[in-house]
Amino acid sequence: MQIDLFQGPFDLLLTLLLRDEVDMLELPLAHLIEESVTPSHEERWDIDAASQLLLLLAAIADLKGRRVLGEDGEDEPDVDALAMREALEARLVAYAPFQRAALWLAERLRAAQGPRYRRVPPGTAAAVPVRDDPARLRAAMDTMVEAPPAPSLEHMGVQRRPLPELLGRLRESIARLREVSFEQVVSDCDRLEEALTLLAALELVRRGEAELRQDVPFGDILITGTRA
Amino acid sequence: MTGLARTVEALLFIAPEPLEMGTIEDITGEPASEITLALGEIRERHADDTGLELAEIAGGWALRTRADLAPACDRLRARPREDRLSPAAMETLAVVAYLEPVTRREIGRLRGVDVDSTVSSLLDRGLIEELETSGAGPATFRTTTLFLERFGLARRGDLPSLERFELTGPEAQALRARLQQAELIAEAETGDG
Repeated sequence: MQIDLFQGPFDLLLTLLLRDEVDMLELPLAHLIEESVTPSHEERWDIDAASQLLLLLAAIADLKGRRVLGEDGEDEPDVDALAMREALEARLVAYAPFQRAALWLAERLRAAQGPRYRRVPPGTAAAVPVRDDPARLRAAMDTMVEAPPAPSLEHMGVQRRPLPELLGRLRESIARLREVSFEQVVSDCDRLEEALTLLAALELVRRGEAELRQDVPFGDILITGTRA
Repeated sequence: MTGLARTVEALLFIAPEPLEMGTIEDITGEPASEITLALGEIRERHADDTGLELAEIAGGWALRTRADLAPACDRLRARPREDRLSPAAMETLAVVAYLEPVTRREIGRLRGVDVDSTVSSLLDRGLIEELETSGAGPATFRTTTLFLERFGLARRGDLPSLERFELTGPEAQALRARLQQAELIAEAETGDG
């Protein structure tokens, strides 16, 4: 790159422009473009380099256009952006060796996967299946597919007195004795029937046919008929 | 072969793990210098045209099969599980290998991203481990013996110098140019908007 204002690599020119060390207004853009893209230029071009250069020239033209038109924010270089770019650049440069080391490790890992080591402790080698053995496989799977024992349904066959029957029984007792002891009524019942009898007693209370009385907590409940 | 070389070869043959020099010294009662000579004899005996080779790996010595015989070995015994590591995991492993002992925060600062899941994955695979600490300060990590074995390294720190991987002047310059270009594009796009 050789123009009146500047001599040196294109990258450096760009950096100086961004830092405002070369005045954008004095930059002869046409000359710069001519210098960059004329066929007499000695460097051989490849598509990537050419497209990058065109992009950069377009960006510079855009920047200069804004500067010439005096758009807001173009007077001062963006110091924050510059500092951020420099910080990012420093970070990428510092991290690059580890990225390359990772590639080296990946290659190393591939190469190290060939050799085999004696990993099986002596004496246990025979326990390692050498090749597929259908009979052993079947024996092992048989234990997995064996049907579990059928669940017991015995409790479903037990006949219990239904609630209406218990209600009738309570009504009968109350009609006969006027007042009955809960404990006496359930003396020949199991725990479930005992609970159902309590429900029946509560049902009688709800219907206004009886009253309950319990003198002490957890004591006996007296069921008294309310009908004459 | 000398008697010592025969003994060491027998020990290497039956050892399930790489044998450390100290262990061989304890068993044979011979000094390290003699054992090193014996190991040289064993290495010569297992030349390129044999099925086994002597390798210094993970801080010890091991007799192992040659890489080209892996297909036949795998028909006798299940093929060892391969470590398929993502690029992120491999880079994290590289950071630990070069900077150990290193904290999770230092790894994250260098990589510029959160590394919790990657570190956990490497811990699960047994390639790195947390160092025993007194309880004060953040946990630090280092590579394991398994890492050395998997990557075929003789000992911790058996890595190329990190300077070898640094960017050259032109490479750093190219990186700088890419950043500047990205910035210009971003500026142009902002201007268009």
